[in-house]
Amino acid sequence: MGLASIGTASEGMQLCIFDLRRGQHEGQELDKILFFFPADLPFSTQLSVIGLSEGLITFTRIFSPEAACEVIEAERHSHVFYEAEPDIWMVMVVEKSKELEAIWRIDALREVLKEIHSLFMMFHGSIRALLDKEPSGELTRAHLYPFIMDYLRACQKRSPLDECCWDFLVGKKLQLPSFRDCLKERRTVQMLTVGREAAIEVQTLVRVLELCAGNTPCSSLILFQDLLVSTTLSPEDTINLFTYAVLRLTPHALSSGASSWSYLRKGNSSSHVATVSTLAPSGSVSEQFYGSRDTSPAGDNRYRITRPLQHDKWFKGKDGFLSTDIWGMDAGSLNVTTPTVWLRQTEERMYLCAYQYRSLTLILLIPFSSILNGEQGVSIVKQQLLENILCPPIEPFALVVSACLDCKASLKILKVEEKLSKGWGGENAYHVSGYRYLLVDGNREISRASPPAKVTTLTKESLLALNRLREEVDSEKSRAKWDNPGHDKDLEVCIRAKNNAWAIARITGGKELYMVLEKANETLLYASDAVEKFSNRYCSGAFSLD
Amino acid sequence: MSLDSSSSSSSGDEYIEENPNSNPKMVDERFEVLTLTEPVELESNHRGDGSEIENGSLNRERNGGDEDDDRLRVENQEIFGDAGPSSPSSSGYAGERGSSSATSASRIDEASEIDDNEIREVRNDGSLEGISDSQASSWVPGKRHIDEDDASISWRKRKKHFFILSNSGKPIYSRYGDEHKLAGFSATLQAIISFVENGGDRVKLVKAGKHQVVFLVKGPIYLVCISCTEEPFESLKGQLELIYGQMILILTKSINRCFEKNPKFDMTPLLGGTDVVFSSLIHSFSWNPATFLHAYTCLPLAYATRQAAGAILQDVADSGVLFAILMCKHKVISLVGAQKASLHPDDMLLLSNFVMSSESFRTSESFSPICLPRYNPMAFLYAYVHFLDVDTYLMLLTTSSDAFYHLKDCRIRIEMVLLKSNVLSEVQRSMIDGGMRVEDLPIDPLPRFGSSPHLGQQRPPTDSPERPTEPFIGIGGPAGLWHFIYRSIYLDQYVSSEFSPPLNSPRQQKRLYRAYQRLFASMHDKGIGPHKTQFRRDENCVLLCWVTQDFELYAAFDPLADKALAIKTCNRVCQWVKDVENEIFLQGASPFSW
Repeated sequence: MGLASIGTASEGMQLCIFDLRRGQHEGQELDKILFFFPADLPFSTQLSVIGLSEGLITFTRIFSPEAACEVIEAERHSHVFYEAEPDIWMVMVVEKSKELEAIWRIDALREVLKEIHSLFMMFHGSIRALLDKEPSGELTRAHLYPFIMDYLRACQKRSPLDECCWDFLVGKKLQLPSFRDCLKERRTVQMLTVGREAAIEVQTLVRVLELCAGNTPCSSLILFQDLLVSTTLSPEDTINLFTYAVLRLTPHALSSGASSWSYLRKGNSSSHVATVSTLAPSGSVSEQFYGSRDTSPAGDNRYRITRPLQHDKWFKGKDGFLSTDIWGMDAGSLNVTTPTVWLRQTEERMYLCAYQYRSLTLILLIPFSSILNGEQGVSIVKQQLLENILCPPIEPFALVVSACLDCKASLKILKVEEKLSKGWGGENAYHVSGYRYLLVDGNREISRASPPAKVTTLTKESLLALNRLREEVDSEKSRAKWDNPGHDKDLEVCIRAKNNAWAIARITGGKELYMVLEKANETLLYASDAVEKFSNRYCSGAFSLD
Repeated sequence: MSLDSSSSSSSGDEYIEENPNSNPKMVDERFEVLTLTEPVELESNHRGDGSEIENGSLNRERNGGDEDDDRLRVENQEIFGDAGPSSPSSSGYAGERGSSSATSASRIDEASEIDDNEIREVRNDGSLEGISDSQASSWVPGKRHIDEDDASISWRKRKKHFFILSNSGKPIYSRYGDEHKLAGFSATLQAIISFVENGGDRVKLVKAGKHQVVFLVKGPIYLVCISCTEEPFESLKGQLELIYGQMILILTKSINRCFEKNPKFDMTPLLGGTDVVFSSLIHSFSWNPATFLHAYTCLPLAYATRQAAGAILQDVADSGVLFAILMCKHKVISLVGAQKASLHPDDMLLLSNFVMSSESFRTSESFSPICLPRYNPMAFLYAYVHFLDVDTYLMLLTTSSDAFYHLKDCRIRIEMVLLKSNVLSEVQRSMIDGGMRVEDLPIDPLPRFGSSPHLGQQRPPTDSPERPTEPFIGIGGPAGLWHFIYRSIYLDQYVSSEFSPPLNSPRQQKRLYRAYQRLFASMHDKGIGPHKTQFRRDENCVLLCWVTQDFELYAAFDPLADKALAIKTCNRVCQWVKDVENEIFLQGASPFSW
């Protein structure tokens, strides 16, 4: 594939974060820069990227004070903007290549920026708060640099079959979401469909889980494989934790380790960045500038930097709990420090405990403030959790079964796991033959799509047509947002492309359905009929016309 | 085929510089002669001679490879169900106007009363003159809001700005506000363009909320559009291309030389007084489909009438006239080109806009140098223009600067013939009758031979049971059909139905126009297009588009229209167009060009 020849990562993509409130005086411009990838670019180049961005933010506000610059399309590059926090901007510059592969959907790229920022917020709080805490900006840079490098290096492996999309990932080229991903939606959750009986079991499990910390209101998230089973969190917090779990916690993430694809080079990716920085003429300067390098272990240097996205740092203990030393070791003991995360909804800091049984991953979030004695308190809750899910109280039937199993069988969780496993259809569970689809429920931030392996059977032309259609829909949606806030767009588009494939989009009531039908010689009525059938069968008629 | 839409969409930059003799002086002088009524002496080196221009043109001969319209095939038949009519496509229309063709007054101009002028939101400060759609702001030619500049809130809230500036940042034209006061703003635009250019790139588009900023660089000339209309990037870029073309039409591309000699060259005096040309062109972006279809439209006329007009035009074309064009407003009555010369629809659009918007052309016969940017961007032609009545005008283009008296004679001859053969009164009548109306879409596609009513209109007595569309009057044509545009690929022509109820208000009409614009851009995506079919439904309407090798059909329906019926109706529209093609299209336009 042509991508290999494109060259180093620095040519393919730039990513920067800057603060418009900083460095407003001549000579202090560097102060603005909070993050820049690749860090070895000369500061003059970094400043010129940021200068252009800043200039266009100011310029566009003349006409559009309510929404400043979102994207710059130039002949050779796209600059994607995202105002992560007031006056804190993230800009990604991607190179358009002559090869057709480098065709993006701008909104999909912006979702990458949103994902980076949301995950960062979950672990470190807001960038503004960090800047307020230490106005020099060094603390912020020291946090951002390793975090984003870890993110770029490793990401998004939601199915082992994903890999067939990434086979050509050789060289140092960053692999960003392209038109081939037009039947995927980042920043959404993929749910497991469960039967009624299993759902009741899951509900019981959730109730049991949340009783672990006594009267303290806990939250929980349950995943089966890489699919969400249950959540008691807000949609946004669910997405963030779900994303993290799929990246780092699920059985799949734990086992994949080095084999998972990454935005950076496969395999020896960590050495890649190191190489870049040592080879670069200004490497040492920027190294000082961005503080702690990603090669330094956690917790050293001047700041104690945790790197939650670091690879291969989570392990499953004998007790079933997942543990990591990312957050450091508890002083004086061999125990690791329990990770904490910030919830967006409640702005509350929570301990994160993850427990795994076969394909099932339970995540329990305990309010930090409610645990007075730190790690010790967490251990108690964990103990309680084990007891609750393994030996459910007062349930004679369960006791009998337990006895039968002749051990402290993980009864409750076993039952649930077994039910879910039985009901699950495997990797291709959600394949609908003849269809290649993406279904997004914007109200609940949920999506479901054809398995990646099936999507790869589509021709490039079909994918390009759908990608283009999605861009059109994106702009209509964004327009509707400004013209008619709070009013859902209603739209139906069926396009018969040059190769006779149908690219279809249906938007209604906050739900979106995208589809490619490749069977030749289908008529418009046939295509509409196919959508109708799909809608009735798999979407409870959400997209049906009557 | 000659300049088709794909080759014509290439930028003017690709034209070979043909006229090394052009010099800045000529550009200067050009303005002294803008609308002289007497022939003008120009130094001989100002122009290429006729043969040079012809050789330099990008025409290719139309040849037998072109499909005859009789062979217009209905493809994708399966899509359009089995409603395919069996009538022969050649119409037997004999040219007599049916007596039952009386229709209400023409609405041709209604669409032109829409404009982007409204300020987006009317604030309570009272200083903004928000023009509501219901007031149907009648479009006023020329520049307005001259008192505004980039510091004015009202200026910032204008929906659509257009700027022309030089690569040194000097303002050349601004749709709103005083160019001189916008010098600072202009310098900002220049800075953005050159900043990106210095990074080895070229900025095309900036998006912010509802706003798009579109950049177009043409040598030393920069064009920028800032818009919060929902038009797609491709449409806005096409509009900038047309504005650039309009400028070339007035000045020729040799203006570049001025900038080569003096980067600080100030072009504004050269364009003095042409504000009205640009504002009228910009206005047409919101009502004239020719601006995005790259096709022209004809005034509906009986075949024989158009033939008569064509014959006399052909007569003069044989006497050394490069192009002879007879138009009524923006619609072509007839058009004839000298051998091997063919006229690009964009050039026709720009030329007719130039003539119609300049008041001086109306008052007397004129002889003016003009440049056809698609034909040859480097050289001037000379246009003899004369209005035969208030809307109908004759344009005779020549390469010779001293042909005034000859062309005047030609005009007198033409005018006499037109009067004698009643062409002019037929034109008047057609203006009143209007074009195709969706209500008149024939229900059963019986072939009509012999005397047929105007555009196939069937007007039985109102109590006739054979007119099932009667109950639908007020809601458009059958199956909820509201409107359609049919573009013939080989003819470079389109026909658009008249606005019928419920498309009554200028607001609805403009919304439909914009929807067509988006649909066109979506169908003709550069990378993957053209698509074959598109069905699009939103809260406002259903749009159906069908692109074949021979034609493109764009149709709008009621949002609740039934898909199957809509498809059948589209098929009927295509048949209807074919039935009356001799009346609505200029058949074999400039037959000597291929």
